[in-house]
Amino acid sequence: MVFAMKTNYIIFLIIFFESTSFAQNSFDEQFNYAVRLYESENYFDTVTELKRLLFFNSNNEYIYRAYETIGKSYKQGTKFSDAIRYFTLAEINAKSVDEIYNSRIEIIRVNILRRTTGRAFKLMDSLEADIRFYDKIDEINYWRGWAFIFADDWENAAVIFAGIDSTTELTVLAKKVDDDLYSVSFAKTISYIIPGAGQIYTGEYISGLLSLGWNVLWGYLTIKSFIDERIFDGIIIANFLWLRFYRGNLQNAEKFAMEKNLIISNKAMNYLQFEFNGLKP
Amino acid sequence: MKITELLFFFMLFTSVNHAQTKDFDFSSPINIKKFADFLFCDRDYLRAALEYERLISSDVNDTLLFKIALSYSIIGDYPFAIKYFGNIPSPSSYVNAAKLELIKTYYLMNDYYGVRSFYNDTLIEEINKYQLEGNKLFNFSYLFTKDELPSKEEFLFPFNLSEKNEVSEYYDWKQDPPYKSSTIAGIMSALIPGSGKIYAGEIGDGIVAFITTTVFSFIAYDNFKAGHNTRGWVWAGVAALFYAGNIYGSVAAAQVHNAKITFEFNDGLNVFLQKNNYYTPAYGFCDEN
Repeated sequence: MVFAMKTNYIIFLIIFFESTSFAQNSFDEQFNYAVRLYESENYFDTVTELKRLLFFNSNNEYIYRAYETIGKSYKQGTKFSDAIRYFTLAEINAKSVDEIYNSRIEIIRVNILRRTTGRAFKLMDSLEADIRFYDKIDEINYWRGWAFIFADDWENAAVIFAGIDSTTELTVLAKKVDDDLYSVSFAKTISYIIPGAGQIYTGEYISGLLSLGWNVLWGYLTIKSFIDERIFDGIIIANFLWLRFYRGNLQNAEKFAMEKNLIISNKAMNYLQFEFNGLKP
Repeated sequence: MKITELLFFFMLFTSVNHAQTKDFDFSSPINIKKFADFLFCDRDYLRAALEYERLISSDVNDTLLFKIALSYSIIGDYPFAIKYFGNIPSPSSYVNAAKLELIKTYYLMNDYYGVRSFYNDTLIEEINKYQLEGNKLFNFSYLFTKDELPSKEEFLFPFNLSEKNEVSEYYDWKQDPPYKSSTIAGIMSALIPGSGKIYAGEIGDGIVAFITTTVFSFIAYDNFKAGHNTRGWVWAGVAALFYAGNIYGSVAAAQVHNAKITFEFNDGLNVFLQKNNYYTPAYGFCDEN
């Protein structure tokens, strides 16, 4: 009797072992094939093969990783909305806290990349408020710093990165960019006082001198008209010529400062894209 | 004996089990088709087309070709769409739908002469259920080109009563578009500053151009008269600039007006056609989902 029970038990164990160890074999192969495609940067086929795997076996053990890899592939192909859709599916099918965290971080990174930084900040705030991720604050702040960079707010980016480590490359870079940026309001203000000064501040010397020259000319003619008691002439010159050039001078100062800032930001972004070796969105 | 039997059944069960799971054939035609159908209904048309294409060598049929063509048409790969729609064999339930889809594809490529020549070569001789739809698209193509329009009666013939009013408006608009002549606008502004702009529909700009040019000219005249020659020349220059700008602006305003009219007209036509899905039917391939 004992012998028979033991035998049955052994047979049951063997059957159970056999069925669980071999049941997913061809799906294993399919998943591994998709991973190899991803590693060889063939993102289109990666998505196809993982979709095929999920279609034929939606309850497999790879469901989270499959959705996550599809999301990453779409992200590599700059299909950001599709990427977010699949990272969200990965989050829904996550089986651990780490998987939930990773999929949310991926969604945040895609939002940073596509410059929907407002959404990224909201998601990071909710992650930070979640007690399950209290030990991930530095990593969340790291992405917050990146979000500030993509929002063109280098000052806050520098502050956030410095809060993690003040000596890192990102901290130094963000601070340098923030120092290099021209103040748009300063450029405009000095142009209010001395026409052309804002342009000269941004390095546009010829434009600044021309602007100064035009304003001096029309200013002179306006005053001369009033001195000559040709009041109507004076009003018309002041209104249609002097004020037009004065306003143009202010607009130019603002435009040049913004253009120069864009060049500085783009140069820094270019460095981050091609030369920075750390983790990027 | 019992143990031997059990072991036998175990071996049989596991071997069958392995055969079913370990060797699941993702590449069997039936599985490719199932997956392609899923992709098609999931609106992942490029992948669907590529999966269907894998079946061509083993199981080519008109539905398959039609779905491939439809997928390529939807994703905007029109040369491939034309190729596959053209390959639908003649005795097929999709052959007429494919012809209609081909006309739609020519529309999407803005090839209106292609629409007409295809219609004339293939559809006009055949009386079938898509003849009327083809005729509508054929007539519509005249609204996109500068070719002479057919008579109104002939043009409106294929359209039903509910469509006739709207289509008739498009026809009238095309027949007599509310364009403004840029030459007339320029001449008018040369004679009376700003009048060309008013003619082109920019009334506010026209009045401003009239006032500024007149005022600057008067100031120039008054300065010369008072012996202030420097200021006189400055104002004469400014007045001349405003005068020339007013003529140029009037010509440009007429051109912008015409471009706007053409854009709105073509946009309206496209919206109308899209609303009616270019008169192509719904095929119901994904209805069961």
